[in-house]
Amino acid sequence: MIDALTDSLEQYMNVVSLRQKLVTSNIANADTPGYRAQDLDFQASFQSALDGGTPQPAEVTGLATRNDGNNVDLDREARLLAENAMRFSAASTLMKSQLNTIKEAIQGGKS
Amino acid sequence: MSLFSALSVSASGMAAQRARAALLVENIANSETTRTPDGGPYRRKDAIFTSDDVGSAFGSELDAQLGGDRLTGVKVSGISVDNSAPEKRYLPGHPDADADGYVTIPKVNAAEDMVDLMSANRSYQANVSAMSAVKDMIQKSIDLLR
Repeated sequence: MIDALTDSLEQYMNVVSLRQKLVTSNIANADTPGYRAQDLDFQASFQSALDGGTPQPAEVTGLATRNDGNNVDLDREARLLAENAMRFSAASTLMKSQLNTIKEAIQGGKS
Repeated sequence: MSLFSALSVSASGMAAQRARAALLVENIANSETTRTPDGGPYRRKDAIFTSDDVGSAFGSELDAQLGGDRLTGVKVSGISVDNSAPEKRYLPGHPDADADGYVTIPKVNAAEDMVDLMSANRSYQANVSAMSAVKDMIQKSIDLLR
């Protein structure tokens, strides 16, 4: 868009929001029989987003499955919810300061 | 990829948990009810949850038009009614007592319903937290425009 950094930040925010959407789905389906928790591999997804690919959500492995076939771990989802919110907040702060720098350059240093 | 569809997902979760809580409260309120419009004692009800694409909200419709991903919400697909045999209690003076003096009482375990109600409450709160976190993220994106 403007420079390489804002492009990377945009992709980062896209991946974080996709992951947050998966977390909200998991929380909404915490009591749905047979539902399997979905998530993405953050590193791999971000790398593929930077290369122009689309992140692929996948079933989470290694979670305990309850008797009704559901394997959502609410504590794990709560952690991811907070983590994604903080990651997004950090990215948006960086993005804002980057945009402010460009704005300042446009205005020639006059506030 | 808009975050607004995530709000619809959390809303579907809240609606489903609210519907479930309503049924559980109905069970507790009717734990001694011996007469119903269908005849016989009250029968315990529970909500059946099914995963469902959230499609009604404007945001996700727009997402679908733009070729975005569809998210999985939850809906109450049905209400299961406990059809097992009700309990019989010996109450000869009761107006609904049979010839032998037994009254059929609903098979509702108050403890079980209270525990399920706490679980519904906790899940509802989890959905509220998720919605609040997503709302803050959307607000942060909007603040970039200021």
